[in-house]
Parts: sequence; C-alpha cells; structure tokens
Amino acid sequence: MITTTDLTKVYRTRDREVTALDGVNLHVDKGEVFGVVGQSGAGKSSLIRCVNLLERPTSGTVSVDGQDLTALAGSGKRASRALREARGRIGMVFQHFNLLSSRTVLGNVELPLEILGHSGQERTRKAKELLDLVGLADKAKAHPAQLSGGQKQRVGIARALAGDPKVLLSDEATSALDPETTRSVLQLLRELNRQLGLTVLLITHEMDVVKAVCDSAALMKGGRITESGTVAELLATPGSELARELFPVGGAPSEPGRTVVDVTFHGETTTEPVISKLSRTYNVDISILGAAMDTVAGKQVGRMRIELPGSFDDNVVPIGFLREQGLTVDVAAVADAPVTDAPATDAPGTDAPGTDAPAGRGEALTEEDAK
Amino acid sequence: MSWSEIQPLLSEGFLDTLYMVGWSTLIALLGGLPIGVLLVLTDKGGLLQNGPVNKVVGAIVNVGRSLPFIILLIALIPFTRFVVGSFIGPTAAIVPLAIGAIPFFARLVETAVREVDRGLVEAVQAMGGSTSTVVFKVLLPQALPSLIAGLTTTVIVLIGYSAMAGTVGGGGLGSVAVQYGYQRFETSVMVATVVALIVLVTAVQIIGDAVVRGLAGHRGAGAGAAGKRLARFGRGRTVAVAAAVVVPLALIGYGLGSGGDDKQTLKIAASPTPHAEILEYVEKNLAEKEGLKLDIRKFNDYVVPNTATESGEVDANFFQHKPYLDDFNEKKNTHIVPVVNVELEPLALYSKKAHDLKELTAGKTVAVPNDSTNEGRALHLLADHDVIELKSGVGPEATLGDIADTKGLKFQELEAASVPRALDDVDAAVVNGNYAVDTGLDPHKDALVSEKVKGNPYANFLAVKDGDQDDPRIKKLAKLLNSEKVKKYIEDKYDGAIVPAFGSVGS
Repeated sequence: MITTTDLTKVYRTRDREVTALDGVNLHVDKGEVFGVVGQSGAGKSSLIRCVNLLERPTSGTVSVDGQDLTALAGSGKRASRALREARGRIGMVFQHFNLLSSRTVLGNVELPLEILGHSGQERTRKAKELLDLVGLADKAKAHPAQLSGGQKQRVGIARALAGDPKVLLSDEATSALDPETTRSVLQLLRELNRQLGLTVLLITHEMDVVKAVCDSAALMKGGRITESGTVAELLATPGSELARELFPVGGAPSEPGRTVVDVTFHGETTTEPVISKLSRTYNVDISILGAAMDTVAGKQVGRMRIELPGSFDDNVVPIGFLREQGLTVDVAAVADAPVTDAPATDAPGTDAPGTDAPAGRGEALTEEDAK
Repeated sequence: MSWSEIQPLLSEGFLDTLYMVGWSTLIALLGGLPIGVLLVLTDKGGLLQNGPVNKVVGAIVNVGRSLPFIILLIALIPFTRFVVGSFIGPTAAIVPLAIGAIPFFARLVETAVREVDRGLVEAVQAMGGSTSTVVFKVLLPQALPSLIAGLTTTVIVLIGYSAMAGTVGGGGLGSVAVQYGYQRFETSVMVATVVALIVLVTAVQIIGDAVVRGLAGHRGAGAGAAGKRLARFGRGRTVAVAAAVVVPLALIGYGLGSGGDDKQTLKIAASPTPHAEILEYVEKNLAEKEGLKLDIRKFNDYVVPNTATESGEVDANFFQHKPYLDDFNEKKNTHIVPVVNVELEPLALYSKKAHDLKELTAGKTVAVPNDSTNEGRALHLLADHDVIELKSGVGPEATLGDIADTKGLKFQELEAASVPRALDDVDAAVVNGNYAVDTGLDPHKDALVSEKVKGNPYANFLAVKDGDQDDPRIKKLAKLLNSEKVKKYIEDKYDGAIVPAFGSVGS
C-alpha cells in the first residue's frame, strides 16, 4: 500500500548538510498498522512527511496505493494539482493536533471537505457522521480550545478521515497525551483499521504504542531502517533489538550457580503450558524472573526470563526441550558468583550459541560468568 | 473663542478626519493585507519561497516606512493628481494617507501571519489544500485577532498623519489644532480639538480591543472558566463585530455626498487667518447680492495654493505678498499675477523691558523671525529706525549676514509663530501682526515701532493665473474685497494686527 524505494532526504543549510533519510526502503501492506519507532532525530518525522510529500525527498520514490507520488509532484516547489488530489486521499494526524482555533469542531472536520469541493449540506452531513464515528457528535459546536487533548486528537482523526482515505499517516499522534488517553486513541485507530480496512502508518518513539496497536514495525536509526517486519517475525529474529525493546525482560538470578535463560514466544506455538510441562518432564524447579507476554489470537507472543538450577551443562537437555517446542532460547548467563541487584554496564554478548547481548537492563554479568 | 465658534470648527474637522481616515484605512487594508501575506509566503521556508521577490517587496516597504509623512505628501502630488484629478482637499489627502499607511499595515500583517502555527499550514497541505486555501482558510482566519489589532493601530496612526493633511487643504481635527492652537494661540480651540482627538483615538482603541477580545474569546481561553466567559463574549462579540463593520462604513459614507462642483463657484485657496476669514465675511455678507458663489479652501502651506492656482484646480488664491510671489514665479516657473491688495500684517518691534528704542543698547538681545521673508522685513524695519545699519543695496531678503553695524545688539532667530513667546526671554522682538494680536499684544499701544502701511510691498493680495484677471467673477470679488464694509470688518476684527491695505499692487 505504501512503498518507498531508496528514499533519501538531505537538508542543506548554508554551512552543512544533514542527511535525515539515508536510503529508506519501507513497505507497508494493505490493511496493516505499521509502526516506525526510533529516537528523536532518527528520521521518522522526515520519513512520514516524505510519504505524502510534505517534504520533497532528495531522491528515491514514494508510491501510495499504486500511485507514484514522486512522479506526480512535478519539479516545481508548489504542489501540483495531481499531488494535491492524491494527498486528499491520504489522511494525516499530528502530535499537536493542528486544529484551527478559528473554527468549531464541526468546521475543522468540514475543512478537508471544502477543499474536496463538497457542497455545504453534504459537508455538514459527512462531518457529523465522522464526529459520530470518533464519539464526539455532541461536541460539534464547541471550539478546539474547549476540548481535552484526547478529544482534540479524535477531532484530528475525524478530519483525517474526511476524504475517505485508504491510508492514514499518524505523526506521533499520542505523544502529547497521557497514558490512558493514549490507550483510547490507539484503540480508536485499531477499530478504524478493522472497520474501514484502513492502512495506518504511524511513527512514534513509544514502544508501548507499537505493542498496543501495530501488526508490523520498523526501527529507524540514523536515517536508516535497521529492522523491519511483523511483530512475530521480529521476535523470531535472533538478537532483534526491536523485539527486545518491545518485550523487555529483566530480573537477576536468585543465587549463584543457576542458569538464566531468555525464552521468546513468537506466536507460532499454541498456548501450551510449556513451562509447567518442562518442570514436570525434567523434574526441575523453574523460577520466572521476568516476563513480557501477550496472548494474541490464542497464540503467545513475548519474552520470558527463567532461571534453572545448576550450571548450563546441567541444563542442556531442558533447553533442548524448549527449542523443540519452537521457542527461541537465549542463554543469558550463568551466575557463579553472588550478584548484586544494582544495574551495571551492558555486557556485550555471550559465547553461548544463538545468543546476542543479554536482554533488557544489563545485569552485572560478564563473559567470564557466562561460562 | 466661545463654544459656539469652536463647535462648527470641531464638527467640520471631525467629519473631515473621519472621511480621510475611513477611506485611507480601507485602502491601506486592501493594499497592506496582500503585501504582508506575500512577504510571509515568499520568505525563506514559505509556501512561495522566492528570495528576490521577498527582498524587493521588503525593501519597498522599508522605504515607504522610512519616509516622513510630510515628504510623502509632497512627493506624491503628481500621483495624487493622476488618481483623483486634484491634489488638494480631503479626497486628495486620502491618497498620501493610504500610501503612507500601506507599508505600515503590511508589516503588521506580516507579523500577525507569521505567528500562525506552521503545523496548521502543514495540516491543510496534507489535506490537499492549495496555497490559496492555506491563505484564506488558515493564515487569515487564524491571524484575524492580530490583524484587527494591527488595523486599530493603523487607524490611530492615520488619525495622527491626518493632522498634516492641512498642508494640502484636507482639513481635519489635527489641522484645526495646528491652525488655531499653534499658529493663532487660541488655546481653547486647541484644547477642544485635542480632547476630540483623544476621544476619537480612545474610541477606536476600545472598539478594536473589543473586536479582538470577541474573536479571541473562544480561541485561546483554556478550559475552566471558559464557559462562563464564552457566554459573555457571545453577546459582546456581536456588538463588537457590528461596530467594526458599521463604524468604518460611517467614516467612509461621509463626504461621498459633499463636494458638488459648480462651474459658477469661484474656488479660492487661502490661509486660514486672516485670509479665509475675510473671504468668509465676503461670502456671507456681500457675495450673494453680486451673484457670486465662493468655495473657500484653507491651506496651512504656502506652496500648494500657488501650484493649485497654476494648474487650475483653484481659480484664485489669497495668502501672499509681492516679494514672495515674484520669488515663487521665478523659481517654480509659474505665471501667477496679483489682482488687488487687501490687507497687511505689519511687523512691529515689541518689548516687555524697554519702553523706547533708545533703551536697546549694546549687549541686548532682539528676536527676529527665521524665515527669509519675515527676517528680511524685520531687519529692514530695524534699519529704517536706525536700530541697526544694513549694508548698502541689500534686497528684501536680508539676513543677519547683511547687517553692516549691529550697534552691539545680539540676535536670536526663531520661527515666526514662536517669536512672541520668546518676549520674556529677550529684550525685544520683531513680531508679525497676527501673532502679536494672538498673544495679547496691542499693536497700537505696545509696539515700539511698526511697519508703515502705504507702499508696503508686503501687503497681501488676491492673485490669479495670468489671463484670468478679466474673469468677471474675479473682478466682482476684487471689488468686494476693497469695499468699505471689508475695511471696517478688518479694522474691527483685527485691532491693528492686520490693517486694510487696499489698492492696486505696485511693481
């Protein structure tokens, strides 16, 4: 639905150049909610603005719903008529809502309909319908200044839907909202995605947003996409930074001489009680140190850190069992010596097979410990 | 002056001010708004980013803003004539007023529009809005409160500028204050006009503020008490908007009907005092019987009445004397000729300390007017009475440098109208007759010496463009101006500050 090819964006100021996008290839499927995460300055904002060409990419192409927008744009600085029409079919919501204080709520939702050339009655009817859809039918006559942040964003969403878009771009839409309001706005986006078959591309710096609503996600760093895929794919990717960020697990071993194992459930196993099976089969005591799990459509997704008694050598068989169940197992560390709770430096990886850096908040573990 | 005399001056001045300010505000609005928006759009990062256009327009606006208004007023005369067909009168004054206000308002518009959140522009672009959609649906509506505030400021600045419209016969309150308060020492008139100006400016400010508050009421106000405030603003807003619409229309409406142009009417440019007053006396008491209609235009300036006579915008003028006219004709290549002498404003030497010329001994200070004509007259007056000695063969425009022997006196040059005010600070002063009377001096009693009337080249006369001397209307007017009744009027009214000086003009 949205495809960018080798997208680059370079900002030139008098004395220097800043590369905001450095060859971005993004692919968003029809009907999915796709989240791009990254820290500020990673290029997320430039990316989403390049999708509807609010920013002209320096090179590369953008196509939305099979239409090459970069070709429509023409060479001039001003947006061509064709590009403006295409933009009318792409909704966009903003971090700071960007509602006109000079208009009522209804007037704000009518604005895109005016641009699309709908007649007065038609505009009012449609705008009321949209307000009803976002649950704000009773606020039509209010002014934006009288609404709460969450209500303002709902108006922003209603406005973005006015052109019956197939694609909705969300630029940090919940970043200015409190957690509870964030949840309800995300839920609304999810509903709209399902009811209307809307494809949503959202950028955010909050992992929780991706976790709550996204089918797929990409991680941006320094103007590049470093990881991308469905949430399950990301979890299945050994050493995926995004998966670790999405499902952070922590917890220190309770006493020396125990083996700590991170288990990743990437939604391909059914909800079998794997852990208790392990316990019964091998007669081992398992403590769960930490977990970040969700059950989606009857499948478990997430990560869990468990502790097995004894050294790694004692636990080869139980770990093999877990791998047989289709889970990804990373042996985080074996604690030989007493360990403090206090977080210390991140240990840069272990030599256990199939593992990367220890997950989550770095415990005081060293390579020595891992052996 | 009594209230009954002040009142018509005030109401006429008030209406003239409203007329000039109303129209020039409207034009400044129509001109400044697009320029201000253009400055924002073409600026770096703007929707129509265009460096050269931005710089050129910005430079023009800056030039417009740096020109003193009075210079603009004179510089624009050819343009004004091209636009309204004349450069005198209230309608003509609108042109320089509006052109002076356009760059001023344009900068205020620029500031107001720049304040609009860029995110809103982006949102409308994302909806597929064109640049004009952005301007008309976002920038202008969002900036409206600031724009109205800017317009209020512009109206008030225009009221100030319009005081200078008297230069081109525009009239108005400011010009009444200058004519009567500054030039004629009619403190009561000055106070009345200044009060009227304060009332006008305050009213404009209150209306402007009310509109801004009304518009901003539902916008910025946070939650909390917003509801209650909103209810109040709801009503206030209607009133404010109604006022914002009605007042300018009322300002503009006046004057549309005025200014009927009658071919039989004789248009005369005159200085407000005493020339226009003498003409008004003729108009009210004598002209009708002779079948003569006068249209008297008052000017504070001494250049415009002559250029207007030369160009035919007025039929005659009455404000000047022979040395001035000769100099003017030569320098400006005009062809204006005197018709008949009417009055003289004799210069006289006054003192609050000396009672006789003999007391003006070495070391004393004498104040004289600083303009070339009056200074020359003053020095000749002093020389005629042997107070000083001029170099031989010095013409009418003598200056301090032409004095052969000061006899130990020191001289202080001041603007003619300020000279009488300096009497307490100097030992003696040469004062124009009209200014002397206005400050309460009696030319008969207080003057140590004064100019003689007979053969005085400084008598003021009626003048026309060469060739119009034989116009029957001019002839009638000349006859009336030299009539016994006018003689009596001048003698009674001006107490010797101004004296009748009838007869043909010597060469």
